[in-house]
Amino acid sequence: MRDFHYLEPRTVSEATAMLADHGEEACVFAGGTALILALRQRMMAPGVLVSLGQLEEMRAIRFDPKEGLLIGAMARHNDIARSKIVRQHYPVVAEMAGGLANPQVRNQATIGGNLCYADPSTDPPACLLALGAELTIKGQHGARRIPMDEFNVDYFTVAMEPGEILTQIRLPPPDQEVTTFYRRHLRTPAEHRPVANLALAVRNRGGAFEDVRLIVGAATPAPQLLDGVQDYLSGRSVTAEVAAEAADRAAEEMFPISDGRGDEGFRRQVVRALTRRLVAEAANLDWKETE
Amino acid sequence: MNAFAPGLPTPQVTSQEKALGRATYAGDLKIAGMLHAKLLRSPHAHARILNVDVSRAIALPGVRAVFTGDDVPQRAWGVKHKQQHVLAREVVRFVGEEIAAVVAIDEDTAEEALDLIRVEYEPLPALIDPSQALEPNAVKVHPGGNLADEIGIVRGDVDSAFAEADIVHEETYTTHSQYPGYMEPMATLATTDGSGKLTVWTATQSVFLARQRLAEALDRPVSTVRVVQPTVGGGFGGKIIEERSSVIAGFLAAATDRPVRLCLSRIDDMLSGAFSVPMKIRLKMGMTRDGRITAKDVSIRADCGAYAGLAPEVMLVTAMRSDNMQRLEHTRSHAQLVYTHTMPRGAFRGFGGTQMAFALNSHLTAMADLAGIDPIELHRQNAIRTGDLSIHGWKIGSCGLPECLNQIEGAIGWTEKRSRPKQRGVLRRGIGMAAAMHVSGNRTMGNWDGSTIVLKVNEDGRVVVLTSEADVGQGSNTMLSQICAHELGVPLSHVSVQTPDTDFTPYCLGSIASRVTINAGKAMIKAAREARETILAAAAEKLGCDAIDLTIEDGVVQSTSNANHFAKLPDICRYHIFRHGGEGIHIKATHDPDTVMMDGDHYGNIAPAYSFAAQAVEVEVDTETGQVRLIESWLSDDCGKAINPLAVHGQSNGAAVQAIGWTLCEELQFEEGRLMNGNLADYTMPTADSVPEMHSSIVESMDPNGPLGAKGASETAILPGAPAIANAVFDAIGVRITDLPITPEKILAAIAAQKEKRDA
Ligand SMILES: Cc1cc2nc3c(=O)[nH]c(=O)nc-3n(C[C@H](O)[C@H](O)[C@H](O)COP(=O)(O)OP(=O)(O)OC[C@H]3O[C@@H](n4cnc5c(N)ncnc54)[C@H](O)[C@@H]3O)c2cc1C
Repeated sequence: MRDFHYLEPRTVSEATAMLADHGEEACVFAGGTALILALRQRMMAPGVLVSLGQLEEMRAIRFDPKEGLLIGAMARHNDIARSKIVRQHYPVVAEMAGGLANPQVRNQATIGGNLCYADPSTDPPACLLALGAELTIKGQHGARRIPMDEFNVDYFTVAMEPGEILTQIRLPPPDQEVTTFYRRHLRTPAEHRPVANLALAVRNRGGAFEDVRLIVGAATPAPQLLDGVQDYLSGRSVTAEVAAEAADRAAEEMFPISDGRGDEGFRRQVVRALTRRLVAEAANLDWKETE
Repeated sequence: MNAFAPGLPTPQVTSQEKALGRATYAGDLKIAGMLHAKLLRSPHAHARILNVDVSRAIALPGVRAVFTGDDVPQRAWGVKHKQQHVLAREVVRFVGEEIAAVVAIDEDTAEEALDLIRVEYEPLPALIDPSQALEPNAVKVHPGGNLADEIGIVRGDVDSAFAEADIVHEETYTTHSQYPGYMEPMATLATTDGSGKLTVWTATQSVFLARQRLAEALDRPVSTVRVVQPTVGGGFGGKIIEERSSVIAGFLAAATDRPVRLCLSRIDDMLSGAFSVPMKIRLKMGMTRDGRITAKDVSIRADCGAYAGLAPEVMLVTAMRSDNMQRLEHTRSHAQLVYTHTMPRGAFRGFGGTQMAFALNSHLTAMADLAGIDPIELHRQNAIRTGDLSIHGWKIGSCGLPECLNQIEGAIGWTEKRSRPKQRGVLRRGIGMAAAMHVSGNRTMGNWDGSTIVLKVNEDGRVVVLTSEADVGQGSNTMLSQICAHELGVPLSHVSVQTPDTDFTPYCLGSIASRVTINAGKAMIKAAREARETILAAAAEKLGCDAIDLTIEDGVVQSTSNANHFAKLPDICRYHIFRHGGEGIHIKATHDPDTVMMDGDHYGNIAPAYSFAAQAVEVEVDTETGQVRLIESWLSDDCGKAINPLAVHGQSNGAAVQAIGWTLCEELQFEEGRLMNGNLADYTMPTADSVPEMHSSIVESMDPNGPLGAKGASETAILPGAPAIANAVFDAIGVRITDLPITPEKILAAIAAQKEKRDA
């Protein structure tokens, strides 16, 4: 690892100014769980690390009836998992954050670092996308907000410019009629990272699904909205057969990645299983029975 | 009564310093003027080194020296096959082989300098697939060809025995390589002194074997090398004599005449091997209808990678050890060890036993099904018994295998779970079991398997124990302390076991072959009893009474016949020193077990005792994702007297978890010989939350040759895990996975094939 300067701004604008000053030499430092690995493997060699560690405002988690749930980008996974506010308004998010990685990572890594690094085998993106998240990004010349749909561009690539900081994740006020389900799958129980995950938001109107949002994550370069399956499920009352059909369609529609954690075929199979289970669960069906 | 007497659960005597972060590992050591080394590794599986240009690296400020294969001794080192050099000379034979070393003022500088070394290679065709190794036109890994070793053992009349069998079953099993996964990657600090003597502090399981090898590799007299073992963070066979970095560090210190520290990163550690030996095992067995095994025919192809190391010895274990677990009369084994252009493979906990245990136990469950016999019953029926002489001449002084089988059968609720209806849902549960045996000691080197203890009683009555048997975390220092304290009548805290140091502690073979408890434990008893006699004689002299009437308890020498005759231990120890011209109580005791080397036909009683284990597991198979989850695990270890049951449980459960890793989670991914997942994020070892509560129990078969009846524990316990899981998977979904690891993909493929067959 090369030597670097470690800066600790006290405000977000000071941080963006520092980033602007040092240009390409500088890099944001949040929990460090991804960054330190990259530095040690010499994949990156920034001369200046701008730590967001002193920006208490960026750790806050608040709920505003109009705006919704506001999560500071520096909130750690465990802060989110344990937050009463999150558990009250978005239990699925608390569960997702409390179930990812391992205790060490959850205690150290931040949601902002997770999103900005955009490693495909992560949990929050698919879940947040299903919930219609919106992100606040600040640069030297001000702030902008973008919907989560536009954020993840590709592997390790997000819609942010150099010098910008992700400050906040906003989830709109929960719609009481919509239920969101999230499930991750590990290749083996010893894995930390998901080989695939799936988020499903539905409005269940007397057995029929409406406003379906189905997103596959971790198995694709960036979280992928499965429009075809959404259309198929919309307006349908879900039976075991429908769940199985949706599962086959999901496996078909996704653009899987293929790597050491699982090849394309395996990823499709896992997403098929996840889809069938989640759709069945959303329709109060028992997915464990077959034949 | 001593609270930590042998047989009572005793916290490790090393645990406090470890918990406080005060234990000193090789990587923690610092010497003034110390330099740091980094290694350049070959990116090619097979290539000729045409030129190494180190000029830019040497020019980097902070770099003190750069070495290549041209600079190292010409003499080759190895176990039996002398074929390695300190740094590769002329040819590289695996991806990761060390071709140059940089010594610099700090690690970062050394690392940076590596990038500045220009190596010109002529890439050569590589032999990666062991099944191609013996083809007539295969690329040769060594000039002598690709056959590293070959073993043939025949006992009885195998062909006739097959002819008499009612059931004959044949199957091929393959096993993969496992990374030892110790917490501490290899680390060494080496330095020379003004006289040129080389001192090496290194993570090792055996200081004397390490010294022998350093002397050979550096081509210098043994006594010019001193090896010291700091605290070691686990070895599992990987730190015996196959790792190469301690040799390189020793060379660098001698060549620069400066202290050199060489600590491998996890990635470096994983690139350098030696992992366990992958094997392909064809097994054919014959059995009578009522379940008596009549014949066994084994053929093995093992892959030692680029250099043989200990792999020939490992393969020998695979070829014959498990035969001794049963009452067999007719067996045949043929095994071939081949070279490939991949990282060297060798010793690993179980030492070749896991590979065969997988094949044998998978096979026995399949045959039990064919005969309509419960597999536990089949094991019980064929099990070797106390007092037997096994087919290979092993004298079984104690055998708790039947009791191990009883324990696991009851604990998991075997009968009840086996009789439940087969499950039809998405998640299906199944149970499986396996059994195994292992040696406690092994007479393989110099026709000696002994151990020597030097025991010094200080003037305050406290004891210092000198031994070179290595505590690498398994707890031998605690075991020795317990025995010593008990025999001498002093508190456990008054015994301290010193660190192995070839210049100060007696010659020992170290922590290999589960030999330390049985051999060093015996030597410890001898030494402590002799010390006790010396103390009592001195006390008798001082108190003017008969030594026969005296005992030592809680540090006080007391007469059993006259309450007025007593003295505190320190008084007697001081008395001894002054009455013997300043000579303290200084005892040396050696124990060499009554065993033999195997003869040319691999026959003979090589170990003073043999340990046994059995395990039963329940798994849940997700038929849609192929994931296998362990629900329950019960392991029973016959280790004779459990001197420290706490340590035995720790070893049993740790071994069982390591077996789960090998079977379900860990898989080295190679592409053209290149390791693709050389880090612990992608090479996934089991974590605490990936395994269920692990249960272990102990069978104390009390071996007549063991210290207080003890045998070895911990290697036996790794053996049954993989086949128990494979058998449980079969029970759950009706498909048998015969090649490890049992991956989700293999489960899914097997289920698909099964469905296709059914639908056809
Ligand atoms: C062993 C292990 C297991 C893991 N398993 C999982 C898992 O199962 N699921 C999962 O979702 N994740 C998993 N992760 C990933 C983990 O969640 C991320 O490493 C983590 O979220 C990154 O956050 P951080 O705060 O440590 O970021 P850092 O390492 O500090 O930063 C990561 C990157 O993001 C940039 N960055 C950070 N914060 C900001 C910001 N606010 N604005 C702009 N740029 C920023 C940094 O410059 C850097 O490039 C795992 C990681 C490890 C090490």
